[in-house]
Amino acid sequence: MSLRLVGRSVLPVLGAGIFLWPVAPALAAPQHFEKHFTVKGKPVVVIQNIGNGRIEVKSWRNPEVVLTGTQASNKISIESEQAGDRIGVSSNLIDATAQPLEMEADFQLTVPEETELQLKTQTGLILVEQVMGDMTLESVAGDVHLKEVSGYIIVTTKSGSLICTQCAGKLNFNSISGSAQLLQPALSNVNLFTTSGNILFDGDFVRTGLYTMKSGKGLVEVRFSSSDSFDLNAQTATGTVDNQAADYLKPDSHGLKHIAGKYTKSFFGTIGQGLAKVELSSYSGTIRILKRD
Amino acid sequence: MRAKLQCHDVAELIEQEGLSPLPEAVGEHVAICADCQGLVADFNSILTAAHQLPAEVEPPARIWISLHAQLAAEGLIREEVAVIQPTRRAHWWEAFSGLLQGRALATAAVGLLIFAAGVVQLQRNSPVSPAESAKTQVQEPDALVDSGAALNSQEHELRAAEPAGTLASSSPVDDDLQKNLKTLNAFIAECQHHLKTNPRDQLAREYLAAALQQKAELLAEMMDRGRSVN
Repeated sequence: MSLRLVGRSVLPVLGAGIFLWPVAPALAAPQHFEKHFTVKGKPVVVIQNIGNGRIEVKSWRNPEVVLTGTQASNKISIESEQAGDRIGVSSNLIDATAQPLEMEADFQLTVPEETELQLKTQTGLILVEQVMGDMTLESVAGDVHLKEVSGYIIVTTKSGSLICTQCAGKLNFNSISGSAQLLQPALSNVNLFTTSGNILFDGDFVRTGLYTMKSGKGLVEVRFSSSDSFDLNAQTATGTVDNQAADYLKPDSHGLKHIAGKYTKSFFGTIGQGLAKVELSSYSGTIRILKRD
Repeated sequence: MRAKLQCHDVAELIEQEGLSPLPEAVGEHVAICADCQGLVADFNSILTAAHQLPAEVEPPARIWISLHAQLAAEGLIREEVAVIQPTRRAHWWEAFSGLLQGRALATAAVGLLIFAAGVVQLQRNSPVSPAESAKTQVQEPDALVDSGAALNSQEHELRAAEPAGTLASSSPVDDDLQKNLKTLNAFIAECQHHLKTNPRDQLAREYLAAALQQKAELLAEMMDRGRSVN
C-alpha cells in the first residue's frame, strides 16, 4: 500500500475525528476533595447528594468529622458548612447540561462514634458502620448497608434494599420494591414495609419489643431461636402462610381474642412467654416462620 | 339592663366575632379586667406575628391525598364527611389545597379535618343495626377509590406536562422511578380488583392505602426531578 493510499484512507478518518472531538461527551478526571471539621459534642451530619454516588460512613474516637470524596466532573460543586456541631454537605448542579455520569459524587465520612446522620443519595450504596445515633437514610435505587449501628434508624428507598447487621434501637424501613434483611438484630422496635420486596428477620426478638413486618407481594420470613419469647400474629389476604414452627407455637394466652378475619388467612400463637409482639403480613406473598437452630 | 360579661364570655365572643373591632360589651369588660387585657394582648401579638410570616407555598396535593388515603384506610372518614362540598365535580382535597394558602388557615383546616374524622369515629362507634350498616356500606362512595383516581389524574398530568422530562428520560434514576411506578400501579390495580369483590377486607384496604401513599410520594419525587435538571 503506497503512502498516498494510506493518506487517502486515514486522513479523512482523522479529520472527522478532529471535527467531532468537541461533540463527543468526555468525562474529566474525577476530582478529589477533603475537609476536616472539629466538633465538640455529638455532631449532626447532613449529606444531600443530588446526583448519584456512594456514601460511606465509618467512626473513630476523635472529635473530628473528616469528609473525603470524589466528584466526577466540575459540572457539580461540593459545598459544605459547619455551624457548631452541625455539618452540612451538598452536591449542587452548576451546569445544566451535565449528564448523569457527570453528576456523580462519592463521599467518605469519618465521624465520632456518637453522631446523628441524615443522608440522601439517588443511586449508589449508603454504608454506615459502627455509628451510634439517630439516622435518616434516603435513596432511590441505592442499597443501604448498616453494620453495628444503633439509634432510631429511618430508611426510605424506592428500589434500594436494606441489609442491617447487628443493628440496635428502632428501625423504620419503607420501600416500594426494595427488600430488607435484618441479621442478628438487637432492635426493640421494628417497622418494615415494602410493596414488592422481601423481608427477612434472622435473629432474636428483644423482650417487650414490637415488630411489624409487611410486604405487599414478597416473602416475609422470620427465623427465630428457641430462647425467643413473642406473641405472633401472621396474616395474608391472598397469599400463603408457611408455618414451619407449629410445634413451638402455643395458643396466645395473653387475653386478646384473635379471630381470623373473614377474608384473610392467619395464624396466632405464642413462643415462650410471649414477651415481644410480632406482626407479620403479606397481601399476596408468602409468610414463612421457622426456627433457626 | 345588660348582664355583666364574665371572662369566659369574653373569650367566647372574641372567638365568634374576632378582635377588630372588639365587640362593644367586650371592650367595656376588657377596660376593667386585667386578665382579659392580657388575653387580648396575646391575641394581638399572635395576629401580628402571623401577618409577618412569609407567604406559605401551597402544600402539594400529595399531602392531602396521603392524609385522605390514610384516614380512609383507618375508616376514619367517609366521602360524605368531606369538609368542603365542591359545586363542580372536583375532589375535595383540590378545593381544600386551593384554600390553604396561609399557615393559619392550613392549621385550622387540618384541625377541622381531624375534628370531622373524630365526629365520624364517634358516629361509627354508636350502635347501628346490621341492616343500616349494610345499607350505609352500599351507599358510601369509597374514599380510597377517589384517592386512586386523583393520583391517576396526577400521573396523567405529569406525563402530559413533561413529555421530554422525567417520564421520557433515560437516566438510571428516572428509569428506576418509572419501574417503581409500574410496580405500584400493578399492585394498586390488584388490590382494587380484590376489593371490588371483597369491599370489607381490611387488610387489603390497608395495603391499598399504603400503596397509594407510596405512589403520591413517588409522583412528588418525579415532579421534583422534572423541576430540577437531573
